Amino acid sequence: MEPTLPATFDDRLYSLLRVLATEGIRSAAAGLSGMLGKAVVVSEPRVRLVPLTDIPTLLGGPEVEAVGIYLQIRGGWVGQIMLIMPHEKALELVDLLMELPPGTTDQLGQLERSALAEVGNLTGSFFLNAVAQRLGLDIRPSPPAVMVDMVGAILDIVAAVSGGVAEHVLMLEGAFLRQNREVAVDFWVIPDPAALAAFTA
Amino acid sequence: MEMIAESNALAVGLGELQVSRDPQDQLVAYGLGSCVAVAMHDPVARVAGLLHAVLPERPREAAPLCPKYVDTGIPALLARLEELGAVRSRLRVRMVGGANMLASANAGLALNIGERNIAMARSTLAGLRLRLAAEDVGGNKGRTVRLYVADGRMTVRVLGSQTREL
Repeated sequence: MEPTLPATFDDRLYSLLRVLATEGIRSAAAGLSGMLGKAVVVSEPRVRLVPLTDIPTLLGGPEVEAVGIYLQIRGGWVGQIMLIMPHEKALELVDLLMELPPGTTDQLGQLERSALAEVGNLTGSFFLNAVAQRLGLDIRPSPPAVMVDMVGAILDIVAAVSGGVAEHVLMLEGAFLRQNREVAVDFWVIPDPAALAAFTA
Repeated sequence: MEMIAESNALAVGLGELQVSRDPQDQLVAYGLGSCVAVAMHDPVARVAGLLHAVLPERPREAAPLCPKYVDTGIPALLARLEELGAVRSRLRVRMVGGANMLASANAGLALNIGERNIAMARSTLAGLRLRLAAEDVGGNKGRTVRLYVADGRMTVRVLGSQTREL
């Protein structure tokens, strides 16, 4: 079921965002590889526009336990970034990042949360660098916040900050690959409608 | 038993409100974070309603009775219940939610939306001469709230702990 595109998302803008997303996610993988000193690849992201209210369903329901890594976009382009994944995927991602055998991590303590925050930080920064270069603007992400709770509760912040204005969000689905292990992650970008206008200006 | 009950669960989504007079129904707001849910039940008319509001205050461009906002959602909920025969003085009003999801995560991003939602709900209810009978608000945990139309029973669920009555 394809959502109707809001007026702010015309075809040109959409394809531009798609290019940016792909560039941004690729450089995020490069940054992650640099941090770990090991090759981490991010699979070609799929880009979709989805209504904000559909996200819980896509993640298995609003009560499902999930991990959200949240950043706000500051500077010349305003919006929010959320990496969100089911709890067990977050455990897998920690194993992958820390080079532990799959199934080793069984809870998210301070260390594990820091590792996940770093993923958010890198992914967000590299994505925003791609946007900044394209627009010639100064854009920075806030420090990342890691939330572990019900999907619905994690997403409240996105809905509240967008003021219910951003009814559609840009969803990038990708997977972190390392050797032959893979962890799928959803990456959401919620640009403020005014920020979208910057592309078409 | 549980299966039968579940089949009548009506989800009250983000920025929505639901009312019902079907005793089989449960009104459910799943995964409340900074959002607040306001529940009203009239035991005589046997009607119930649940609001799931996102932000404290309606911006000028939004509809006058928009359920997305606490200040307009509460009067909207009251009006819908009165249409179903509820009487204001009989209403049992409860409030759940308004957590600060970022409290433990990153203080720099704290926006106190949950706190502002709670404060707005209190003042809006007071303005309508509605008294809060019970509440479970604040903290930094997400909550699922379930309101049973038949008897006004209400439960709150938090991840990692037992569902409790409110």
